[in-house]
Amino acid sequence: MNLPIPFIVLLAVISLAGTGFYCLLFTRNLIKVVVALQLIVKGVVLAFVLAGHLQQNESLAQTMAITVIVADTIVAVIGLSLAVQIRQHTGSLDLKALSKLKR
Amino acid sequence: MISILIACSIGLPWVGALLVWLIGDKHEKVQHWTSILFSLAAGAAAVLMLWNTTGDAGLTIKMGGIFGDFTFIPDGLGVFLAVIATVIGSLAVIFSTSYMKGETQIGRYYAFVLFFIGAMVGLVLTSNIMLMFLFWEITALCSYALIAFHNDDPKAVRGGIKALIITSIGGVGLLLGALILFVYTGSFDIRLFIADHSAVPAGMMAVLAFGFLIAAAAKSAQFPFQTWLPDAMEAPSPISALIHAATMVNAGVYLLARFFPAFKDVLYWREAVMIVGMLSALLAAIMALTSTDLKRVLAYSTVSQLGYMVYAVGAGSVFASQFHLFSHSIFKALLFLGAGAVIHSVGTRDMTKMGGVGKHMPFVKWVFIIGALALSGIPILNGFWSKELVLEAGLAGGPSWIYAVMVLVAGLTALYTIRCVWMVFFGEARSDYHAHKVELAMKVALAPLALAALVSWLAVGPFSQLLGEATLPQHNIETLSLASMFHEVLSIPTLIALIGIAIGIALWLLRSKLAGFIEGLKSLQWAAEHSFGFEAVNSAVVRVTNGLAETLRNTQTGLLNWNVLGILAALIILLAAIILGA
Repeated sequence: MNLPIPFIVLLAVISLAGTGFYCLLFTRNLIKVVVALQLIVKGVVLAFVLAGHLQQNESLAQTMAITVIVADTIVAVIGLSLAVQIRQHTGSLDLKALSKLKR
Repeated sequence: MISILIACSIGLPWVGALLVWLIGDKHEKVQHWTSILFSLAAGAAAVLMLWNTTGDAGLTIKMGGIFGDFTFIPDGLGVFLAVIATVIGSLAVIFSTSYMKGETQIGRYYAFVLFFIGAMVGLVLTSNIMLMFLFWEITALCSYALIAFHNDDPKAVRGGIKALIITSIGGVGLLLGALILFVYTGSFDIRLFIADHSAVPAGMMAVLAFGFLIAAAAKSAQFPFQTWLPDAMEAPSPISALIHAATMVNAGVYLLARFFPAFKDVLYWREAVMIVGMLSALLAAIMALTSTDLKRVLAYSTVSQLGYMVYAVGAGSVFASQFHLFSHSIFKALLFLGAGAVIHSVGTRDMTKMGGVGKHMPFVKWVFIIGALALSGIPILNGFWSKELVLEAGLAGGPSWIYAVMVLVAGLTALYTIRCVWMVFFGEARSDYHAHKVELAMKVALAPLALAALVSWLAVGPFSQLLGEATLPQHNIETLSLASMFHEVLSIPTLIALIGIAIGIALWLLRSKLAGFIEGLKSLQWAAEHSFGFEAVNSAVVRVTNGLAETLRNTQTGLLNWNVLGILAALIILLAAIILGA
């Protein structure tokens, strides 16, 4: 068992993003949606770093990764604060109950 | 110098718009004066440009990237239309101070009027087609906002949305053209494209030419998009005069005139343009004959006269079309402002309830008659000269059957104009209205327009020089002196056209003896009152769109899980396509 490191990283990317997408597909809880988004984005950051390594362009990859981390943190903060507000106003975190588009 | 003038004529109205909005509706008087000041200043800047026209970029703003440079070229064609927009804009603003007195939210009104004036100037001066598209859509937005100014009136809101949707369809044609232009030439520059269009292959050239024709037809309310203009008459009268008679609706004609040197060799394009113009002129003239709403009659006549301009471009005479545009802007703004004074005073737009208004408002009666005579093409008013030049150009550059229809329309024009004047100003009062006095601001706006309708044709020499080779080398417009215009117009075809006009007037004078004949045209009247079925087509389109939207609604669950599934599925399909393709 002697896997090359990029391959291991790729597996990590797929498992992180895959877990995130799996959660997004099946969860109905708003908090869990935010967590799932975090998982996906962490996978994406890792993918950036991997791509930078393979392209011999690490500095660009690091820049991208840091930018994504900053943006992603803001998304998480706003998402969670919205979730708190929604819970206070409606008493529910269930996406299906919150949806206003359904007939 | 010229760059400052360009920046002023676009920027000053916009600064004014912002100021009027910031001043707030508590200070109505300040708002009136601010708008007058800024529109007059923009008008002065535009008029000064007349002596500074050039075929090169007068103002360049480097944007970088794919936007290229935002260039403004003050050539004859652009400056001429900028002057029309700002000068008639100023007169409309002056008229508004009396017409809109006491209305609520006057700030919103003036802000959009000034925003429109600046955008219109930008539209005609810019040489970057992407920027032109932007200005094009701003004018559409202002038109929508001002038609629906009385936003508690559902009819006004409906008219505004209809205008917005139809002109936006035209905007798609322009955007498509801009993108094609960029793909093949690598820049958005209109001037370079007109000078050398060999980079665009013939097939794409046809798409471009017909796309622009659709854009122009939608903006200028030409066949088959003419239905929005009559419904736009819910707007306050100064708006009808400025946007829906003198400036914005000319943008379509301007587009055709601007690109004529590039498109003239496209197969069937000129024929298509002439037929669009002819059908618009004919159908709108018949509808004007049956309408009883004063402003709708004028709206139909605008469509009809714009048809003449489009026809002239198709026949190959950009000069005749622009000269008629010049005359039309003056006399139609005069007619709309005159109609506005009547409506403001009498309190209705229904001509069947008017009659005898002339006794109470002699000043308005006389200026309206001057405008009406110019519209009918009676010598020696400006409408006569320009319409004759259009007809001459049509006879020289187009098939004679279209020419015959246009002469018929000239007769119809005289007929519906005299009918309109008669129903409003002469005869006995048909309802119990109370006419108010005409205020000074209205007279100040009407008098110069009436004077210009009488004498503007004397400027044919300088006007043809303005559009000449110095700044528009591709358009091949020769200088036409007053004497040679006399020579050209005083000919047999003019006599034929005048006979057509005389028959039109005679038909009205003999209308009681022709009762049987008119009875025979009942079915035509019925068709005209139902706008020849175009309204039915419009409502069918709306119905189908609504039905489709209601059906497609089922795909919008509003649930995150389903949306993520959709995104993932699309991602997988995309990946599969890339892998299989590679």
